[in-house]
Order: sequence, then structure tokens, then C-alpha cells
Amino acid sequence: MKKTFVTLLASTALIAGIGLPAWSAMHGADLFEGPRDAALAAFREAGASPMLVSDDDGEGRDHERRLHRGGDSDEEDDDDSDGGNAPGPAPAGSVAPPDNGLFGTGAAPKVQVN
Amino acid sequence: MKTILAALALTTALTFPGIAMARPVTLTTTLKDYGGNGAYLAIYVTDPKGAYAGSLWMAGTKSKYYEHLSDWYRATGGNTAEINGITGASVGAGRRLEITLDLADALFDAGYTVHIDAAAEDMRDSPNEIAVPLTAEGAGQSVPGRRYIANFSYGM
Repeated sequence: MKKTFVTLLASTALIAGIGLPAWSAMHGADLFEGPRDAALAAFREAGASPMLVSDDDGEGRDHERRLHRGGDSDEEDDDDSDGGNAPGPAPAGSVAPPDNGLFGTGAAPKVQVN
Repeated sequence: MKTILAALALTTALTFPGIAMARPVTLTTTLKDYGGNGAYLAIYVTDPKGAYAGSLWMAGTKSKYYEHLSDWYRATGGNTAEINGITGASVGAGRRLEITLDLADALFDAGYTVHIDAAAEDMRDSPNEIAVPLTAEGAGQSVPGRRYIANFSYGM
């Protein structure tokens, strides 16, 4: 009888020690899943796709891209070389405009900045 | 005397079509006071089908930044041969850029559209900020820009 009682006590302690934290964890997960599911459902109803990780939605193609000169200035530096990779374009007046069918006589353009 | 007259007639006949088929057109682009450094601008034309036809002007001399003029760059692959002889400095905020070009008559009232892509340092790129059909009727009419360009017009 005493042996049976000890076994019963040990099994109860095991269940309490292992089972309760596991049950608690499962219950806790439900607590977070509820609002998450509700938020997902709200997005779906609104016809929008939820953004969970990235905020890059590709809106307007390249509109989020930014030019960064790193101190370069057209006025300070006329070197158009791209680190030796690509030659810069010939400035206006140094050669005739390209023969692309848009220009009538090949006359040099006149430019003025006010 | 007869030979001279014949030569004169021949040269006139050869020269006249060139003069008659082109006209000087002034493109005026005024930038907003957007509070940044000089803007890069690519001014180019698309044909009636919307395909890239050619470039008219590039404001900004450093080819490494051309990828930020993204529609122009996509159409040309950044090929600087497209803008040889039609490239100048970038344009400061609040400034007005006036370019006078000798453009072919065939561009007007034929479904061609002039576009401007714009980009400024550490600010958002602005492809196709301006898209205006080239028509005789549209000459002199000011078109507002979206981000960096206050307005654009062309005059004949």
C-alpha cells in the first residue's frame, strides 16, 4: 500500500513538473496567435498583403533608390571616369550631337543655366 | 557663268531640305528649391509606340550616377554614346536650365513624347518626372513636375 502511494506521488510530481510548463507554453502560444490571426484576417479583408519582414514594397519601381555622390561634385571635378571602367560622355560643343534622327543639322546645342 | 549657276542651284537644292526639316527648339526646365545638391536630369524622347527613340540632353557628367536616372538607364544600358555632345553640368536647386536644340520637324505632331528622369544626391530618384507629347500646340505650355522639377516647357 505504501509502495503504491509512493509511486502515485512520484507520477503526480512528474506530471506536475513536466506537464504544467508544457501546458502553460501551449496556452501562451495561443495568446499570441489570436491577435496575429486577427491582424492577418484584417489585412486579407482589406485586400492588402501583410508585410511581415521587409518594408520594401517595390512601390514606383526605383523610387526608393538614392544617388550618393560621397563628396563628388560636377563643378569641382570634371573627371568623368568611373574608376577606369566607363568613359564619360563627351561634353556639349566638343563633338556633334549623336546621329539618332532627332537632331536636324547636327548643330551644337546652346545651353544656359540661370 | 552657267557652271557657277548650276553649282549654286545644286548646293541650294542639297542644303534646303536640311534647313526646312529642322527647327530650333528651346527646352526650359525650372527646378524646385528642394534643398539638395545639383540634380541629374536625363531628357529623352520615346516614339509613338513608347519605345526609346533617343536622348536630347543629359545634365550631369558622371556616368556612375546615370543608373539613378532609371528609365533612361533601362532604355540605353547607360551607353554614354547616346549623350556624346549633348551633356552638361548638373542643375542646382531653384535654377532654370535652357537648352536650344536643332530638332527634326518629324518629331512634332507625330506621337513622340519628351521625358525627363531626375535624381538628386541622397534623395529619392524620380524617373519619368515629366512626360509631354511633342506637338505644335503644346509649345509654350508649362507642365508641372512631380518631385524636383517645378515646371517644364518647350518653345519653337
